[in-house]
Amino acid sequence: MNARIERNGVVSNALAQIGACALFGLTLLRAVPGSLRHFRETLRQVWFVGAMSLTIIMTCGLFVGMVLALQLYDVLSIFGGTSATGTVVAIAIYRELGPVVTALLFAGRAGTSITAEIGLMRATDQIDAMEMMAVDPLAYVAAPRFLAGIVAVPLLTVMFCTMGVLGGHLVGVSWLGIDNGTFWSNMTATVDVWKDIIDGVIVKSFVFGIVVTLIAVFQGYTTPPTSEGVAYATTRTVVASSIAILALDFVLTAFLV
Amino acid sequence: MTEIPSAPPDSEPMVKVRGLTTVLNGKKIFDALDLDIPRGKVTAIMGPSGTGKTTLLKHITGQMRGDAGQVLVDGEDVRTLSRESLFELRERIGYLFQNSALLTDFDVFENVAFPLRQHTTLPEVLIRNIVLTKLQAVGLRGAAALSPAELSGGMARRVALARAIVFDPMLILYDEPFVGLDPISLNQVLKLIRTLNETLGITSVLVAHELAAVQQVADHVYLIANGKVVAQGAPSTLANDGSPWTKQFFGGSADGPVPFQYPAGDYAAALGLRRNA
Repeated sequence: MNARIERNGVVSNALAQIGACALFGLTLLRAVPGSLRHFRETLRQVWFVGAMSLTIIMTCGLFVGMVLALQLYDVLSIFGGTSATGTVVAIAIYRELGPVVTALLFAGRAGTSITAEIGLMRATDQIDAMEMMAVDPLAYVAAPRFLAGIVAVPLLTVMFCTMGVLGGHLVGVSWLGIDNGTFWSNMTATVDVWKDIIDGVIVKSFVFGIVVTLIAVFQGYTTPPTSEGVAYATTRTVVASSIAILALDFVLTAFLV
Repeated sequence: MTEIPSAPPDSEPMVKVRGLTTVLNGKKIFDALDLDIPRGKVTAIMGPSGTGKTTLLKHITGQMRGDAGQVLVDGEDVRTLSRESLFELRERIGYLFQNSALLTDFDVFENVAFPLRQHTTLPEVLIRNIVLTKLQAVGLRGAAALSPAELSGGMARRVALARAIVFDPMLILYDEPFVGLDPISLNQVLKLIRTLNETLGITSVLVAHELAAVQQVADHVYLIANGKVVAQGAPSTLANDGSPWTKQFFGGSADGPVPFQYPAGDYAAALGLRRNA
């Protein structure tokens, strides 16, 4: 009985959080036009969450492509289909791994820093100070980070995918000896620009960018102004973002395939 | 033709609080509180810790809204203002936070320049001159390039003060302005508060515990406890007015109408020396 009540509490709490986050998203959208005044701040945030995440995204993209090529070569060689390695690497990365892993890495690298930064700004009264200076913190602090995330995640996903395919080429062609021409021609013949790149890379990463950054900004903005509150908010950003990314990936794939 | 609303007469208090009642987490912070902050004067709000002094400032700025009553600032009821109107009002109010609340992304210069950059299109040279003038007034012109992390608590407070006065507001609210200041800085801040008041006619409200400093700078003192004004008057005479509130507060005694101990059960029982009945 107690376990059931507890479970119901967890579920209703989660639903309340989703509802509060959605309402916060609407408030944030209303603040976006006002944030255009702070264009330099938005650019600074694009640099911070985007450019500063490049190293981890590119490195991880390279290794994901390399390990994928290695595994696929091993499996495809059973059927004598190693020439399809490049194609399968590209499709797997464009459709799934690129947007999903980039969004997960972005949540860990940039989402947590957005939450912690805004949370600490609240804990040290900086948000209240802006309010007192008649500067809307939603327009100055929250909206630029939200916009920066929406811009950065698709661009980072493109970089991840590029490095992933290069990683696959490095292992498949340079190490395992697949013919260079076969690798590229099979890939370019099979990969569909609309279905694999636009739907896979662009649409998914755009949606993930919105969701991850919204969660990060929401958690930071609504965190209790204590060190414990900021710590919990940062953790919640990673947990909620990861679940949201994987759940939305399924929903989007169901609609896009 | 649109009629331009006339400014409240000078005799009207800058801040008028009437019947303010606020309950936070089940605790009554204000119980039909009434007080007036006169224009062009320095008014000090004093009282025991946790009595709602900072909360009162937050009501004046509209950061918090009470459950009942009125808070009129320059004739406008803060509780009923829209967000836009509230922001317009706040452009005329300076606020010094208890923990300075400097923006950590910016250096000292940019912190003071922040309100100017957000609300004006002044040329850079003018912004520079205004900021340097304010920093000179708080003795920190030489620290303009430092980041907030490089400042001591007292220096950060003075930078926050420079930022609060950068617009020469009609009303400045100081939340614990004397904490962490060395005697030299304290004296300069006292002089600055007085100078701003005398030369520009700025109304000042300060929340403080330091009676000696308050006596030097304030024209009027309110002592708040249990959600009400329990004593008020000129700082020089208030400490000796004979009421049990002022006697305990200014005498620093644990015994009196303000309990020193937070409500708790039997002490001996808590220590295991006696069994609870």
